[in-house]
Amino acid sequence: MIPKELRYLQTHEWAKRGKDSGIITVGLTDYAIEQLGDIVFLELPGVGEKVTKESEFCTVESVKAASDLYAPVSGEIVEVNESLTENLELFKAEPYGQAWIVKIKAEDIAEFESLMNAEDYEKQLKG
Amino acid sequence: MEQLRKTVFYDKHLEHGAKIVEFAGWEMPIQYAKGIVYEHLATRKAAGLFDVSHMGRFVFRGSDSLAFLQHVLSNNAAGLEVGESQYTFITNNTGGAIDDAYLYRFYEDEYLLVVNAANRQKDWEHFDNMLKDFEHVEMFDRTEETVMLSLQGPRSKQILNPLIDSGSLPEPLRNRLSTVTIKSKRVLIARTGYTGEPLCFELFINSKDALMIWDLLIERGAEPVGLGARDTLRLETGLPLYGHELGRDPSGREIPIFACGLAKFAVSFSPLKGDFVGKAALKKQFEAFKRIIYRDYSFVEDLPRIIMPVAATGKGIARPGDRVFASDKHVGYVTSGTMVPYFKYVGEGLQSVLTEEKQMRSICLALVDSDIVEGDQLEIEIRGKRTDAVVVPYHLRSEAPPYARPTAYDNIFKEKESVSTANDLRTKALTLLGKTVDNTLWRQRQCVNLIPSEQTASPMARALSIMDPAGRYAEHKQVKAFAEAEVFYYQGADFIAEVERLLEEQMRIFLGCSEVETRLVSGQMANAAVFSSLVDYINRSNRKSEPKRIGRVLNHHIIKGGHLSAQPMGALRDFVAHDPNTEKPAVVNFPVLAENPYKIDVAACREIIAEYKPELIILGKSVTLHREPVAQIRSFVDEMSLDCVIMYDMAHVLGLVGPYFQQPFAEGADIVTGSTHKTFFGTQRGIIASDYQRDNLRWPLWEAVRRRAFPGSVSNHHLGTLLGLLMAAYEMNHFKDEYQKKVLANAKAFALALKEAGLDVAGDADIDYTQTHQVILNVGYSSGPEIARRLEDNNIIVNYQAGPEEEGFTAAGCLRMGVAEMTRFGMEEKDFQEIARLIGNIVVGAKNVKEKVTGFRAPFTDMKYCFSGNQFDAIMEKMHRII
Repeated sequence: MIPKELRYLQTHEWAKRGKDSGIITVGLTDYAIEQLGDIVFLELPGVGEKVTKESEFCTVESVKAASDLYAPVSGEIVEVNESLTENLELFKAEPYGQAWIVKIKAEDIAEFESLMNAEDYEKQLKG
Repeated sequence: MEQLRKTVFYDKHLEHGAKIVEFAGWEMPIQYAKGIVYEHLATRKAAGLFDVSHMGRFVFRGSDSLAFLQHVLSNNAAGLEVGESQYTFITNNTGGAIDDAYLYRFYEDEYLLVVNAANRQKDWEHFDNMLKDFEHVEMFDRTEETVMLSLQGPRSKQILNPLIDSGSLPEPLRNRLSTVTIKSKRVLIARTGYTGEPLCFELFINSKDALMIWDLLIERGAEPVGLGARDTLRLETGLPLYGHELGRDPSGREIPIFACGLAKFAVSFSPLKGDFVGKAALKKQFEAFKRIIYRDYSFVEDLPRIIMPVAATGKGIARPGDRVFASDKHVGYVTSGTMVPYFKYVGEGLQSVLTEEKQMRSICLALVDSDIVEGDQLEIEIRGKRTDAVVVPYHLRSEAPPYARPTAYDNIFKEKESVSTANDLRTKALTLLGKTVDNTLWRQRQCVNLIPSEQTASPMARALSIMDPAGRYAEHKQVKAFAEAEVFYYQGADFIAEVERLLEEQMRIFLGCSEVETRLVSGQMANAAVFSSLVDYINRSNRKSEPKRIGRVLNHHIIKGGHLSAQPMGALRDFVAHDPNTEKPAVVNFPVLAENPYKIDVAACREIIAEYKPELIILGKSVTLHREPVAQIRSFVDEMSLDCVIMYDMAHVLGLVGPYFQQPFAEGADIVTGSTHKTFFGTQRGIIASDYQRDNLRWPLWEAVRRRAFPGSVSNHHLGTLLGLLMAAYEMNHFKDEYQKKVLANAKAFALALKEAGLDVAGDADIDYTQTHQVILNVGYSSGPEIARRLEDNNIIVNYQAGPEEEGFTAAGCLRMGVAEMTRFGMEEKDFQEIARLIGNIVVGAKNVKEKVTGFRAPFTDMKYCFSGNQFDAIMEKMHRII
């Protein structure tokens, strides 16, 4: 059930390029969510913060442990999904939809293009 | 590498979608398909089933096994009777724990010790080493051939109980044990657990029977719960986990056992225990601990840090190892922490109701400096950032069954509502008068009052209670210099002195005895005065040394209907000695019949008296359906030549003393106490009576009663109600024959009619359920409070009562009712039959019949069994005008 149109990190984040082509939406794949178990806490970064590709930008916590999330591209955070922090069940219900986490204005859109596609991510999961 | 083990339930775990992890060499479920949060909440709301078979189970046998266990464990194993268990530590020499454990005594000659899976090998090797100094001890590892399941939660009892085909669940007290069969297979059951749930059961089963039992429990609605939720549940309860709150702290230092709050229950310095591993180090910790309670930190190096429950008030989840600060000073570490789910309650107190609304809270246990106290503001460093937190006394409470009640910090530290300033007191006074009239009319004219402890005194008795000498003093004492004449300390007391003399006379006639003390103002006070007198009496040969207390008491346990005053947690506490064996008050309880828990098992009682040789036996109950076996107890005491005082607390049944119920002194009671306001017609007071004469060996006990009444219990003995009581005593002596017969007949008629109405009446059907004024209804586990409320909404006033199987009053499953007050207002058998039908409508039919009840009560407003006639009317008229 890996959405074909998205791109992926090895660390199980998904990235989507918006129609306004510089903005990248980021979330967690349902595989990651399943591995984490019940997500009980989400600490969002602030709007305006700068992030670097493959560096942590955010933490999601399950009952047993905290997990860092890694940025798919470098850039600036332009929007965060505040309502997600009050509705953590959305992770299980809509991992690729309403459970988006942040939107990043990419510095260099080529970074997005170089991300894994759905087929490669699926191979990694099976691998 | 050694292969990982699986418990017999492994395939069951997989069936339920378990995520399996490695834990202490075992493959165990960390969670099942629905997840940790779901499993945690399912335990709190319904029932969780935990496979804990990986835990070590060691069995000890042999004549030296007790001595061995006393040596290697911290608690007093000698205090365990068969059928009891205790929390304990396996100690090392430096005052730390090798492990924490639970010791069970299912059998007379065998002890079962359950240890943590992670420490099983270490514990075994330690014991093996220590066994070298003991001869007749055999130690067996039963881990492989038995399994252990834990069933915890509000529905656990109704899931488990119907499966039992022989034997029964353990008594509804924590740590109690029993042996049963389920589908003919033997199962050992303990009321123990690691979740804080008040309804908790741990089952020990033979491996070959295990899967069958698992299936039965799951079928009946138990939810499988994994190790993840096991941890969040125990954290919420504040229970320690070895490796976190015991063992080594995050900086590598050994955690002293007394850092754990449970140490004060699980460490014993009883002289019966003798020397044990780590005793010296633990003693030092204990001395420090005792002072720290009083905020005296002079020994704090022996106990520098203590585990405390801490709640995050800011955002973030505290994790083990996070540093804790108080005003920028590093004061300790988080030992366990996570985000824990709970259900919201709506409403307050007993009426509060569990909702499905889920919330999360960030809580932890932290090892922090011993001078930190409840309410202190702390900061927890979570991944480099500091978050605010507060020290709370607890995260959860277990004393209100059937639910464990999570307590969030903002509920504990609530601001008290501000008191309104005293303005317009005139209006307030007027309002008070109005509301009192309303309440009196409601209760006296519109309600059917069935609370067995209550009565309405006659208009004459009530009127007398507010006449002079109410508000006066008349302290008096017998003085030997004046040949025991009463000497009064106050003037203006001639009238009341005569009243008191007449009252004693009337009570002596009523009770058929030689001495009565009337200065007590309640039944509980009368009981406390008797306990005090007995202490005085047993020390009369030596007034110089520390007085000794009553050595052993036999009473009714409160869960079997005994009164508060006779319990160690009630008035008895300051008068009964501690048993050095159990390190608890030296009280033993009356055994009751299996088929009728409201009746004393007289044969078993004889055994108990022979074994424990009580100095004081307290008969008489708060929940009472039967006559007390006074004569049989007297015969046992005499047969065994025991120096024992037989006391009958007749609080409820004082008004029934006579040929239709019991004659306590004729049957052999030494002392009788009573409330004068339940079945007796009186104002609210207490009395003590005995048939001792001056030449009796026990006469000094009676003299002690006089002294411990005054000045021991009262200074002012409330002269108004004393005067009213004399009138009540006249009424009682004049009308008792009719009244007593009527009360007892009404009670039986009421019980039978309730049965007819489809209700579950407690007691022995062969005697029409009751021999007293009381009738008990079973309305279903924990339904008592709600049904009593419903009856009150319909103007029928009864009280909810915890029955012998209930863990606490919040789970009360009975209603307790008495017929005495309404009998006094003239109701007869047919009237009680009507009340029974109305109660049936409300309880079974869930109807609203308030109008009917009010209409029913309306004609019953004149009291019977009162003096009447024109002369009485005239003088009553005068009295009304005087006040």
